[in-house]
Amino acid sequence: MIAAASTSFGGVISYLTSASNWRGSSGFLERILQHFEYSAETLLIAVAIGLPLGLLSGHTGRGGAVLSMLSNASRALPTLGLLTIFAILIGVGLEAAVIPLIFLAVPSILVNTYVGIRDVDRSLVDAARGMGLRPWQVLFRIEIPVALPLIVLGLRTAALQVVSTATIAAYVGLGGLGRYIIDGQASRNFAELGAGGVLVAAFAIATESMFLVCQWFLVSPGVRARAYTS
Amino acid sequence: MIRFERVTKRYADGTLAVDDLSLECADGEITVLVGTSGCGKTTSLRMINRLVDPTSGTIRVAGKDVTKSDPAELRRTMGYVIQQGGLFPHRTVIDNIAPVPRLLGASRAKARGRAYEMLTLVGLSEPMGKRYPYQLSGGQQQRVGVARALAADPPVLLMDEPFSAVDPVVRSELQQELQRLQAQLHKTIVFVTHDVDEAVKLGDKIAVMQVGGHLVQFDTPERILARPENAFVESFVGTDRGIRWLSFFAAKGLRLHVPATVETTTSAEDARRIAREAGTGWLLALDADRHPLGWLEVATLNGGASIELAGLRSLGHTFKPDDDSLRAALDATVLSPAGVAVAVDDRGVVVGVADHEEVTRAIRAASGRA
Ligand SMILES: Nc1ncnc2c1ncn2[C@@H]1O[C@H](COP(=O)(O)OP(=O)(O)O)[C@@H](O)[C@H]1O
Ligand SMILES: [Mg+2]
Repeated sequence: MIAAASTSFGGVISYLTSASNWRGSSGFLERILQHFEYSAETLLIAVAIGLPLGLLSGHTGRGGAVLSMLSNASRALPTLGLLTIFAILIGVGLEAAVIPLIFLAVPSILVNTYVGIRDVDRSLVDAARGMGLRPWQVLFRIEIPVALPLIVLGLRTAALQVVSTATIAAYVGLGGLGRYIIDGQASRNFAELGAGGVLVAAFAIATESMFLVCQWFLVSPGVRARAYTS
Repeated sequence: MIRFERVTKRYADGTLAVDDLSLECADGEITVLVGTSGCGKTTSLRMINRLVDPTSGTIRVAGKDVTKSDPAELRRTMGYVIQQGGLFPHRTVIDNIAPVPRLLGASRAKARGRAYEMLTLVGLSEPMGKRYPYQLSGGQQQRVGVARALAADPPVLLMDEPFSAVDPVVRSELQQELQRLQAQLHKTIVFVTHDVDEAVKLGDKIAVMQVGGHLVQFDTPERILARPENAFVESFVGTDRGIRWLSFFAAKGLRLHVPATVETTTSAEDARRIAREAGTGWLLALDADRHPLGWLEVATLNGGASIELAGLRSLGHTFKPDDDSLRAALDATVLSPAGVAVAVDDRGVVVGVADHEEVTRAIRAASGRA
């Protein structure tokens, strides 16, 4: 048993380090690029939906209950189930893979943005209005910068969910890192399966790191320090 | 001038926050709105800069109905200071202040210059400008709040319990700072507080409000203390209103006596003789420049060598007849172990003393005039 495990672990390493596996239309580089493409596309659409809605409802204080209800409902939907439904409805293709991922990503962005803006101290908003800022100035100059740690957290969570779940694109015949997992499983090639797992994990870690770096540069030291001390 | 003309505010939930308020806040003066929590002070203040709009009635600033102005434009002509400072945590102190003149169209460089000027004006150093709000004490944050409100040089300043959240020592400093600024700038200030002492100290006029949004009395602090309109005002200003009221009478009218004094080099024997001749049990000890050191109780002297500094009793505190009030003089007599208040000049040199009888006489004379 132990021998078998270590053999397959060695197999994964050699699969990963074999130069020929990196090149070509089904090589790692190509698959990583595809994976990035699906993830980025999903995330952009999810941001375009979730961020403005979260900002608007947080700023006006309206629709919060409805939004969190919808979010909870969509969180409860099984992504794989959605994938199957969309594949049947609109046929196998990019949309069938991306739409379920959007359902997965929007709630994190929406809810965190809404809560972030809502939680901005009312006295700040009061002071900002009192000094003569117009509503949109209050939103962009005060509420967003102060809520930024939570907003970025929402984006980061969504990105991680998308990146690790984008493997399902392979189920509908698309590329990405999920290919190795599906194909490896189908052909009982554990080296390929393991390599796919490692690559997905590495991709997730890289994504996480990128967001941490962004957060460091975007969030004001004044807000960052407060978030740590309070 | 800010005029409330029969202003009523009823919130959507039916709460009557302000009830038929008519009031005039004179230019260049501090008008204090005072009253217990929930009596409608904040609501009244926020109707001036249209953070709240009245249900009925009119508020005029310089003759113009505020509801005829664009709210944002209107607010830029009024400084607004709130209890918790409301400083923006993501911006440095300077970047909290500079946007105000920017909103009025000043260039970036000019706005920053103005912001540093304001910082100095409220008693903060320039390096503080680079700090973030969380790096400031509560008192410093309130100073920045005041600097920000003043940055556009607005004619009107609205202050909602600006000093309530800081400790008493800092509060008193901030109050003095505001008085100093006001003497220099002559803003039209509407100041909200629930603290009668603060109202009396800062107000040129005080409006006492009662829960339900009624104005009960609108008068000078002196008259509010001396002649409360009704039982509510009387109980609100407190049982020691008589003492507070004394702060409106100068200590200048006191007839000072020359005290029997000793110096640190005086022998105990001489001290006993001086006390006997003056007919007193207490001698005021002075240093070579006639600054007071403390009280010597003659009965405690033993031996014949020089008097012992260690045996001196504390002065309590001194008062300055030219600057201080009868309240300070009375306080000094109460705290003095000899029952005698020591008067000093600006250099701290003793100019005389006043005992209980003299202070009582001055109080009688003052209340006779009121
Ligand atoms: N936005 C609001 N909606 C409903 N009631 C309010 C609102 N703001 C204040 N009130 C009520 O109006 C009354 C006066 O409040 P406020 O002006 O804040 O008093 P104060 O500043 O003197 O404590 C209180 O009973 C308060 O609960
Ligand atoms: Mg209030």
